[in-house]
Amino acid sequence: MGYGKSINIFKQTGNPKDVVRKFKLSSFSGTHAIGHTRMATESAITTQGSHPYSTSEDECLVHNGSLSNHNNIRRSLKKEGQKFNSENDTEVAAGYISNQISKGENLEETLKNSLKDLDGFYTFIAGTKDGFALLRDEIACKPAVVAETKDYVAVASEFQCMAHLPNVNTAKIFEPKPGIVYHW
Amino acid sequence: MNLDLNKKKLREINQLLQNVGREKNNRSFQILNPQGQHAICAGLKDDIEVSIKGHTGYYCAGMNKNASITVHGNVGTGVAENMMSGKVIIKGNASQSAGATGHGGSLIIEGDASSRCGISMKGINIIVKGSVGHMSAFMAQKGNLIILGDADADLGDSIYEAKIFVKGKVKSLGSDCIEKQMDDKNIKELNKIFKDLNISEDAKKFKRYGSARNLYNFKIDNVSSY
Repeated sequence: MGYGKSINIFKQTGNPKDVVRKFKLSSFSGTHAIGHTRMATESAITTQGSHPYSTSEDECLVHNGSLSNHNNIRRSLKKEGQKFNSENDTEVAAGYISNQISKGENLEETLKNSLKDLDGFYTFIAGTKDGFALLRDEIACKPAVVAETKDYVAVASEFQCMAHLPNVNTAKIFEPKPGIVYHW
Repeated sequence: MNLDLNKKKLREINQLLQNVGREKNNRSFQILNPQGQHAICAGLKDDIEVSIKGHTGYYCAGMNKNASITVHGNVGTGVAENMMSGKVIIKGNASQSAGATGHGGSLIIEGDASSRCGISMKGINIIVKGSVGHMSAFMAQKGNLIILGDADADLGDSIYEAKIFVKGKVKSLGSDCIEKQMDDKNIKELNKIFKDLNISEDAKKFKRYGSARNLYNFKIDNVSSY
């Protein structure tokens, strides 16, 4: 579903295990990967409504939360020429990020700006060809945990998702602070 | 007795620990490979000792009654939520809403606790040796939140009668929360908590915060609404 030179996006409805098997994810290699299982609230359970979202080349976004002002932001981004394929709130956030980056902002600054422009609650992970960034809104209802070792960085909603990783019990584990952009 | 979550199901282990009974001689348990699972050691009634070797998920040691539970790792959201009595010790860090709605007993977090620590607490003593995140002691009704490090923004927002003691810095106080005088009675009370829990701290180094009693519920004029 994605386009660009470095990032592939695969998404579908169904059991995550089946989706992973179907796309043969175990045969992939690379420097970073982002996965997402969606519990739908703001739009229908369809492939179009699934994450990650990409609105520009080699950019993607996953989101846990919901945005309350996405209709307003969508309208103003459409006026600036940004294209949208769904009614989903996360696609608006992805469009917002693409729009800011196209104006010359870097990913970190873009996410900082989103704190004042995007209303709602969220944990975002955004990926580009160079790396990925993490941001929780300032209320920080939506969880996130980070494990860092000398070999890898893992981010998940909760520790259970990363409990199987090698040497995770000796990793530096922390909860990202609200309103702070973390970038790797 | 060792209980390995790689070999036994969580429900099996929790049911065993919830039904130890007073007549059993074996009252000391170790849980291995917790792997971030949820609700480990929830609802323990008897005065047993449980040591959890690793990181746990949400609501670990929730609703605890008489057990003494130590987690050798980090804990997820809502550790010791709605605890009634007993003791819960966290050797690592705690995620949000630690000790939420706790009625009694002691929760000791040796690392940091994140946002909303002690939200709506109702009589529990929570001691955080590190720092706490924003909105801690939100709507706290009774008990003591004792912070040896710093507190992030909006500490004690809409607090009722709980007491907050902080040794480090407070970024900001929430709505209706004010600094209060640390008198001899408060110092004595706080020192007694430290002594009972074997914590070597001097109460005189702490500042006390509590309710200014200016919100709706504290206004006598509003009684006529009922």
